[in-house]
Amino acid sequence: MDELQRVMCVEDDPDIRMILEFSLGRLGGYTLSLCASGQEALDQAARFAPQLVLLDVMMPKMSGPETLQHLRSVDCMRGVPIVFLTAKALQDDVEALLEQGATGIIVKPFDPVTLPKDIRIYWKHGRDIHP
Amino acid sequence: MTVLVVDDIETSRNHLVELVTDIGYHCIQAASGGEALQHIDFTHVDIVLLDLLMPDLDGFELTRQLRKRVTGTWLPIIVVSSLEGDEHFVHALAVGAADYLVKPVRPALLHAKLRHYQHVLALQAHTATLAQRQKAINETIADAILTIDSKGQVCEFNRAARQLFEAEAGADLTGRPVRELLGIGLEQLRSTAEIVHPGAGLAPPTFSLSSSEWSIGADSYCTIALHDLSAARRVERMKDEFLATVSHELRTPLTSIVGALGLLVAGAAGTLPPAAMELAAVAQRNGARLGRLIDDLLDLTKLEGKRMTLHIREASLKALLGEAVTANTGYARQLGVQLKLHTLVGAAHAPVDADRFLQVMANLLSNAIKHSPTGMTVDLRLLADPLGWRIEVADQGPGVDPEFRTRMFEKFSQADGSDQRSVGGTGLGLYISRMLVERMGGSISSSSSAGQGSVFSVVLPRLPADRPSPWVLCIARDHQELDRLATWISDLARTELVPDLVTAQALVQRIGAPTALVANPQSQGLADEFCAKLPTITAIDRIVLVGDALDDRFALRHGMRWMPHSSTSREALKTQLLTLLNEASGGASHG
Repeated sequence: MDELQRVMCVEDDPDIRMILEFSLGRLGGYTLSLCASGQEALDQAARFAPQLVLLDVMMPKMSGPETLQHLRSVDCMRGVPIVFLTAKALQDDVEALLEQGATGIIVKPFDPVTLPKDIRIYWKHGRDIHP
Repeated sequence: MTVLVVDDIETSRNHLVELVTDIGYHCIQAASGGEALQHIDFTHVDIVLLDLLMPDLDGFELTRQLRKRVTGTWLPIIVVSSLEGDEHFVHALAVGAADYLVKPVRPALLHAKLRHYQHVLALQAHTATLAQRQKAINETIADAILTIDSKGQVCEFNRAARQLFEAEAGADLTGRPVRELLGIGLEQLRSTAEIVHPGAGLAPPTFSLSSSEWSIGADSYCTIALHDLSAARRVERMKDEFLATVSHELRTPLTSIVGALGLLVAGAAGTLPPAAMELAAVAQRNGARLGRLIDDLLDLTKLEGKRMTLHIREASLKALLGEAVTANTGYARQLGVQLKLHTLVGAAHAPVDADRFLQVMANLLSNAIKHSPTGMTVDLRLLADPLGWRIEVADQGPGVDPEFRTRMFEKFSQADGSDQRSVGGTGLGLYISRMLVERMGGSISSSSSAGQGSVFSVVLPRLPADRPSPWVLCIARDHQELDRLATWISDLARTELVPDLVTAQALVQRIGAPTALVANPQSQGLADEFCAKLPTITAIDRIVLVGDALDDRFALRHGMRWMPHSSTSREALKTQLLTLLNEASGGASHG
């Protein structure tokens, strides 16, 4: 599988989900699974088999890091790069998130025009880490 | 001042009273030792003049009793006698008299002596006031204050100290070893700034510790003050949480606003009519500006509160400046400005926080680009400086108004709005840059003359001998293993810990190759592939593999040293690394 096609976005804010749909779906041409919660992501993961996950950090009920832990235990998700979307730009927070096993961090506000290209870099990067 | 005159012979007593009164002191009299003692009990007396030869209670015995009765302050007793010889005066001084006068008393001498004791009493009163005030402060202050003698034992303490320590000990603190109370000895006290209250429950409070040493003669003492930091820490934590929340709450809507506008402008929802495009661009630009303002305010709050942690490491300034140019080329091109990097020195390393350094450079470069006329060049120069390294950002713009130059590194300072391109700044950039550079031990300045453009200079301290000191990089997925490695190695050289290869590569790209690399291939994907990529970090002969998941043949195949877990003792690993580190320093000195 040499092209990135299926991207899962987990984001509780409906407006940001819509931006992601425009950016990654319409502009980027990716096939998307838009999830409003960590639970929804877990329900969809096996069927959708994403090649990359964009994961909001601060979500009610199941937080981003929690969702990441659960996703990692799904069979087809083991080597899939997971990139956090976060509004917390503080250096220490970023380091803590990377330590929790994220492939990368995208800081909000992000540029929806360059996002389709940006995530491809994380995808390639991620394959280096999880060969 | 009140003088008590004690004499059993009336004429002699009256004579003394007359003399004292003439000098101007208040006088009370007693005809016997017994009467004198009664006076002392009920009246305030400053000085006693007493006759040595009296029936019943003589002057010697009276002196003894007065000394016993009057405690807390010192009462000058002057004995008076017409007896021949010195022995009785010597005796009187021995039992507690302060001075003597020979009868008949000469007025001038009496006057001089009373004046002298008045001075002594004034000094005594002054000292007492000081002590009283000191005691009041000591007892009411919330910080625990202890004085420790040279044997490391408590010899003085205040109320707060009593409460802090006696609550659990239930005993007098005097004589208690300070080590027992604080968990550290007298020697360590001098170099300790913070201490966690030992044995104080689940969440032991942290105290800041300040000490001051003093001595009386050959005896030395150390007075320490313990200030409870819990409340301050709690407020700090609340402020951090508040900042994080504010940041999150402001950024989330901003993400939608700026994102939607960006998509509109990019034509994701169809082509916009030119007028709508212009308006959307205005909104987009200002959304981005709001984002920068939030970032700047967060930085500012952290910097001013001294709560921004800088990750200062040796870094190659050349590499960082290259990165800075790459990052700002897009903006320069947009405004038709050229960006040129001139590195006029060989290797230049400085201890900086790379991200924050890039932030400073981005600020200076974007300012320079913003103020450059189209077609002009912004020059970025790296030069040697007596104080270290000098980085100059020079533009060919209109220069800075001299009036503004004096306050340009202050908070919320912006030149007046006549220059259209200055729109979009937050007025915090240079202020934050200054604070960041100063936190990295450097300085920032600017020079400019009308029509000649401006030059902004950052001077950063140079590393001793400008050679990166040896350091060891450890790659292991397991936190506990990393921690163990760190404790083993940290006394040999500086140690950096990373969980995986990608993080390691990013670090090396930024600060250069490590002197030695310790890596555990466990949980890093295929061990063979992992090891094959290790030489991207540092030379093969500087790599030590650890872990049980491999064997000798595996390590041999990759040409690396290997230490299995079962035998990876602290000493064995240290010996290996020491060899590598010594080789490195030897090699460098030849070069």
